Amino acid sequence: MVRLLLRFSEKEVSQPVTAEVILEQGVPVNILSAHINQLGGEILAEIPSKHLDKIVKAFRDRGVTVQVRKLIEVDEEECFDCGACLSLCPVNAITLEEDFSVAFDEGKCIGTTCGLCADACPARAIKLTR
Amino acid sequence: MKKLVESSGLEVAYKEIDVVTTGTFGAMCSSGAIINLGHSDPPIKISKAWINNVEVCHPGGAVDLYIGATQMSQTKPFEYGGGHLIEDLIRGKEVELTATAYGTDCYPRTKLETTITKHDLNQFYLVNFRNCYQRYNCATNSRNETIYTYMGKLLPNFKNATYSGAGALNPLTNDPDYETIGIGTRIFLGGTQGYVIGEGTQHDPKNRFGNLMVRGNCKKMNPDFIQGAALTKYGTTLYIGIGIPIPILNQGITKKVAITDEQILTDIVDYGTPRRTRPKLGKVSYKRLKSGTVTINNKTVRVSPLSSLKKAKTIAQTLKTWIENATFYLTAPAERLPTDTTCKPMKQTKEITFVENLTHPAVTCTENEKIKTVAQRIITHSVNHIVVVDNQEKLRGIVTSWDITKAVAEGKEKLTDITIKKVVTTAPDEPIEAASRKMAQHNISALPVINRDKKVLGIITSEDILKLVGR
Repeated sequence: MVRLLLRFSEKEVSQPVTAEVILEQGVPVNILSAHINQLGGEILAEIPSKHLDKIVKAFRDRGVTVQVRKLIEVDEEECFDCGACLSLCPVNAITLEEDFSVAFDEGKCIGTTCGLCADACPARAIKLTR
Repeated sequence: MKKLVESSGLEVAYKEIDVVTTGTFGAMCSSGAIINLGHSDPPIKISKAWINNVEVCHPGGAVDLYIGATQMSQTKPFEYGGGHLIEDLIRGKEVELTATAYGTDCYPRTKLETTITKHDLNQFYLVNFRNCYQRYNCATNSRNETIYTYMGKLLPNFKNATYSGAGALNPLTNDPDYETIGIGTRIFLGGTQGYVIGEGTQHDPKNRFGNLMVRGNCKKMNPDFIQGAALTKYGTTLYIGIGIPIPILNQGITKKVAITDEQILTDIVDYGTPRRTRPKLGKVSYKRLKSGTVTINNKTVRVSPLSSLKKAKTIAQTLKTWIENATFYLTAPAERLPTDTTCKPMKQTKEITFVENLTHPAVTCTENEKIKTVAQRIITHSVNHIVVVDNQEKLRGIVTSWDITKAVAEGKEKLTDITIKKVVTTAPDEPIEAASRKMAQHNISALPVINRDKKVLGIITSEDILKLVGR
């Protein structure tokens, strides 16, 4: 599975874009989180990896900005493993390892659709990818 | 040590072990560095100074400055402050100094602009007046909004909790009666050797909230163990690594050092109450806290440590290596620290006003009333806010005269269409200052006063506060 961050502008939200892509391509698109209103917004979706290319194209053809890269960047140099972020993550993507290092599971992270951890980092080591 | 006591008993542990090393790495706000710049030509007696736009204070003669960890940059407040400045200097970075003075016959200069690094300074010492607390509270938040505190970010309605300190690894937890730690005790401080110079301010050993005043040479410190930090909407601070060796002098000390995370209890405290004494919601052990969750009001919630347990372990381990390599020698205290003091509250000559002192009865309505009826009530009582309640007088929402005007203009009839359901509220024991800050933040002019069961006790408006100020 692969995660896509779909960014909609005011223009695209007036159309049932996601439904159209699902019907046209016949690929199941699982919506993990959505932060969207009539002015635009973001949807984080998960799709089977083998359909990545055609799904990205289908969304882009409809004017949606598609991002396949990392949703969060953690600066290992800056992070001093305090753990202030741990209890804020709603999807348990941040955990303490056995040696008390703070570990981020990028596969679980829902990125800018959440972002609760970023402003709680005393070392300012967490950046949400825009 | 802890494992050995458990497996072989106190006597064996006492005979086998000479020293136990401890460590902690956390935010210690009451910290700072004293620097001496040397004299300029012509000389200056600094009255105001800034380094990297952080105001620094001038506590003494001409060119001594104290960099407070929590003093924030005037150009990047909440992101850069004294803590970061101390870290930058330790890293060897060049910083910008500006200063002003009134000028005297012996110190004629009135303005100064220069750059400095730590190598240009005569002295650069960390002098921290309250560090290394024995333990901390576990913080949570009862309010229906996220709050940002010195205990970190606390989500609404008890959705998370935070704690600080390394538990059984914490230095003062292992010597709670100050038998080995006193004035002159050599310690690990910020990656180099420092000293305990006394008890810290607010030292409260009676309630197991003791702390230390420490000093160390910043020029020799390692930035891995001293780092500036920014706590959103709270301010800047300094994370500091402290490690203290405990010599095992007798079986009594052996027993105290054998303390485990399970035995160290702390209070779960509601930081949603902005008062000196905050409600305690229960007790929790450091063992439970380190497990990652805590139980609050019968619900399991996740808990964040705010101090690095990983660094605390590294510090204790580093100190152990230093001792083994004979690069660090233990010292006997020159003087014992007080063991019987407590922290007194502030003497206040003027009592402050709380919400309950200004609360007056709220004009209310229920959800099924007509907009017209409510409009008439606004006129009869000459108010701007009507609090919507259920039949048990519990808060359901709020309606303002503006909402009514808008509803009439748009031809709406049902009250539920215009009721604001997400209401910002206050409580009787909230200080007026906190309540007025809420109104300003949310750009509103009234707050329903409710109790813990959401029952409406009254209302407080911006007019009430204005009258108080004008009195």
